[in-house]
Amino acid sequence: MFNNFLEIQNTTFVASKLNKVLDFNLTIKNEGDIICLLGPSGIGKTTILRSIAGLQKIPKGFISLKGRTLSSEKEHAEPENRNIALSFQDNSLFPHYTILDNINFGAKRNRKAKYDFNVNELIKVLHLEGLEEKYPHQVSAGEAQRVSLARSLMSKPDLLLLDEPFSNIDQSLKVELQQNIKKILKEKKITTIIVTHDSYEAFYMADYCGILLSQTMKQYDTPYNIHHYPNSIEVVNFLNRGILVDAKVLDETSVEHKYLGVIKGNFVNKYKKGTSVKLLVQPEDLEHDDRSDLKLEVIDKKFRGTNFIYTLKTKNDDLIPVFVHSHHIHQHEVGEKFGVKTPIYIDHLVCF
Amino acid sequence: MIKNINYWYLSSFIVSLLVALPILTVFASFFGTTSEYYELLKNTFLLDYIFNSLIILIGVLTLTFIFGVLSAYFVSFYNFPGVNFFKWSLILSFAVPAYIYAYSLTAFFENFGSLFALLKWIFGEGDYNKFIPKFDGMIGAIVSMSFSLFGYVYVLTRASFYYQSHNLIEVSKNLGFSAKESFFKIILPSARPAIVAGLSLVAMECVADFGAVSFFNVSTLTTGIYNSWLSYDDLNTANQLSFILLLIIVCLFFTENFSRGGAKYHQPSRGFKRIPKINLNGKKSILPIIFCSSLFFFSFIFPTLQMAYWTIKFPKYFQDINLWALNLNTLFLVIIASVTLITFSFLINYGNRISKSKFLNYLSLFSISGYAMPGVILAVAFMSFFSWLSDFLTLSFGFLSIKGIFIGSILGLVLAYFIRFYSLAFNGIKSNYLKINQSIDESSYLLGYTKFRTFRKIHLPYLKNSVFLIGILIAIEIIKELPITLILRPFNFDTFATKAYAYASQDLLEAAALPSLFLIFWAGLLIFFTSKYILSEK
Repeated sequence: MFNNFLEIQNTTFVASKLNKVLDFNLTIKNEGDIICLLGPSGIGKTTILRSIAGLQKIPKGFISLKGRTLSSEKEHAEPENRNIALSFQDNSLFPHYTILDNINFGAKRNRKAKYDFNVNELIKVLHLEGLEEKYPHQVSAGEAQRVSLARSLMSKPDLLLLDEPFSNIDQSLKVELQQNIKKILKEKKITTIIVTHDSYEAFYMADYCGILLSQTMKQYDTPYNIHHYPNSIEVVNFLNRGILVDAKVLDETSVEHKYLGVIKGNFVNKYKKGTSVKLLVQPEDLEHDDRSDLKLEVIDKKFRGTNFIYTLKTKNDDLIPVFVHSHHIHQHEVGEKFGVKTPIYIDHLVCF
Repeated sequence: MIKNINYWYLSSFIVSLLVALPILTVFASFFGTTSEYYELLKNTFLLDYIFNSLIILIGVLTLTFIFGVLSAYFVSFYNFPGVNFFKWSLILSFAVPAYIYAYSLTAFFENFGSLFALLKWIFGEGDYNKFIPKFDGMIGAIVSMSFSLFGYVYVLTRASFYYQSHNLIEVSKNLGFSAKESFFKIILPSARPAIVAGLSLVAMECVADFGAVSFFNVSTLTTGIYNSWLSYDDLNTANQLSFILLLIIVCLFFTENFSRGGAKYHQPSRGFKRIPKINLNGKKSILPIIFCSSLFFFSFIFPTLQMAYWTIKFPKYFQDINLWALNLNTLFLVIIASVTLITFSFLINYGNRISKSKFLNYLSLFSISGYAMPGVILAVAFMSFFSWLSDFLTLSFGFLSIKGIFIGSILGLVLAYFIRFYSLAFNGIKSNYLKINQSIDESSYLLGYTKFRTFRKIHLPYLKNSVFLIGILIAIEIIKELPITLILRPFNFDTFATKAYAYASQDLLEAAALPSLFLIFWAGLLIFFTSKYILSEK
């Protein structure tokens, strides 16, 4: 038996001369876990998938699946012998086969698999009904992407790699597909690595998320922890959910902001009294309260259907996002004053 | 793994070397000793040769530009009676090589020729010869080549009109241009690379032409090369003349590549939509109808009719000419050459694809140079190389002469065809291979298919049609090919082209009619079958 399902150790991935991912480590302990790799475009996420699939060699490091070495400096198992499916971001359907033939193309590959798919069900779940006899050039980009996904699933891989699987798919269908696919993957216990630049998608789909920034994996954790305990300023900036404001540590449970006043909460890391820090303030941290004395000016207001996101300006020009339900009592126009409940309480005080 | 790659390198290298042989030979002999005949030429005729070649080139380029662009414009943008017929029938001109056009032209306009007979039949006896214009010499060569070559400009320009312009027309209308402004400011400039590419092809064929200029006794570089071999048995001079001609062609070749450089292979984007053509009725449709029908008539019907007329008028040549042998010889050459060409093109394309080696890519680029090499040069260089090799082996190692194996043999002929048409086969397969995205191969590997099974299940079925098409294109070229066959063929081995040439050069034009007619028939038939592809919007 093997200890870890997938292991990648100190591996270098080369996307191009200038673009590399260095010293990459990733361990998937349990079969059936879904991992999302999150990072900006052009960081080398696709290269990582291609190397795991065996389409590219690695100059340094070690990759093993179910205890079997796939890639190292000396070894390189050919992609056809890895039983890893990769669904490409761009269209890679076989142009001279019908959609159905495409989906079935790898179906006979893995007879020993623990799970199986019914083609018709899969077609239904992925909303591909009626396309079976068409050819790839007759379907839309989003449909082609789903066909490619179906084809990968039908080959019953040990490890499924998805490269931006929802990039061409309409917003409305996306949510449903994400649900359907997550359900399938969990039911059949298919270990999956998804590459994406959409943090909402990653947080929804993943058991664990890896954040790739400037050639390395900055953080690898559960989506909850990544959101609430980002481990570096770069990760905060990349996720772009909150802002960092200057503050001073008062005691073991509070910090002080020059214009927001005392902010209470639990420190994630310990700091000495009086240390100047940058405090992470996220949209859900401040509460609206018109009776409060702390009034901030509304700079911008985004209506998101179920909620508003206001941008408020403090006197020292910090721009703070605040999230409220879209309820008439929370209605304020740009330029008006917006009351913030004091004292401010933030569950996890994340400081840098 | 290492062994595999070496194998690809080796086959690529051998093919490149073979195709490069004529160029290397020509290059080597340019710096060889200069024979006296060449000195003589340099002092007297060389400038004439170049001058004549250039005059013909300018004439042919002008005419093919007018014929090709106008006809492409009419059939691409307008609906008029017969437009669908003209669309494909204009490419039938490819079935009539310039030298056969030259025979027809002469047969029709010569003293007491077909026109004379026609006039006599209508108006009775008379001294018509004085009034009948004579198309011979330079003018005849220009007219013959223009009608047989304008198809290149037509096909490429039309494809470009079809594709780019229709998207651009919408944009230009959106920007407020009128139809006329759109044409001159948007459509024509956007088709410029295609027009230049078409004209460069015409130019290369034109300077390489041997049959028509030799028939009209115009001294150009190609006839100079041929004559210094045939009349003076001076291969060295022939190769030195070849060098000069090659220099001209290299310039043309770069123009063509340069103009095509930006046009990357790409599939049309989704949602590509054709804009409806403009309907022309009544008076307005007269001009395009007259233009297209005359072009079709003069480029195809006229030479065919002339040859058919003489074939019927002089039936005795049915007995003199062994038609069976001509047909079988042609078929034999076509099959051997296309099978060899396609096999090697496939092998090397596949090697390039899976090894992803840049070096291999460059090597194969080098190996397609045969495409720009005029048949005359190729044949003469081929012959001088193997004569040299044979002499070298005999003198150094006491080998028996190997001349007979390569010169005047089927093997030598097929090798020369291979050199000449390799780029046609290679590029044909390559451009279709490029349409198969690399990620398609990768998907197949990822679904558990080995490289060989990917080749069998994905590449072969996908490329099947284009391989068939390439086979036909090679067949058309071989049927029309004259100088290589003429110089390298085995004794008493004839194709339609050489048979017709032999009669024509003995002033037996009426005997040349039968093989010429057959040549037009076969080439026309094959073009008819492939017209869909030739005219496809690629």
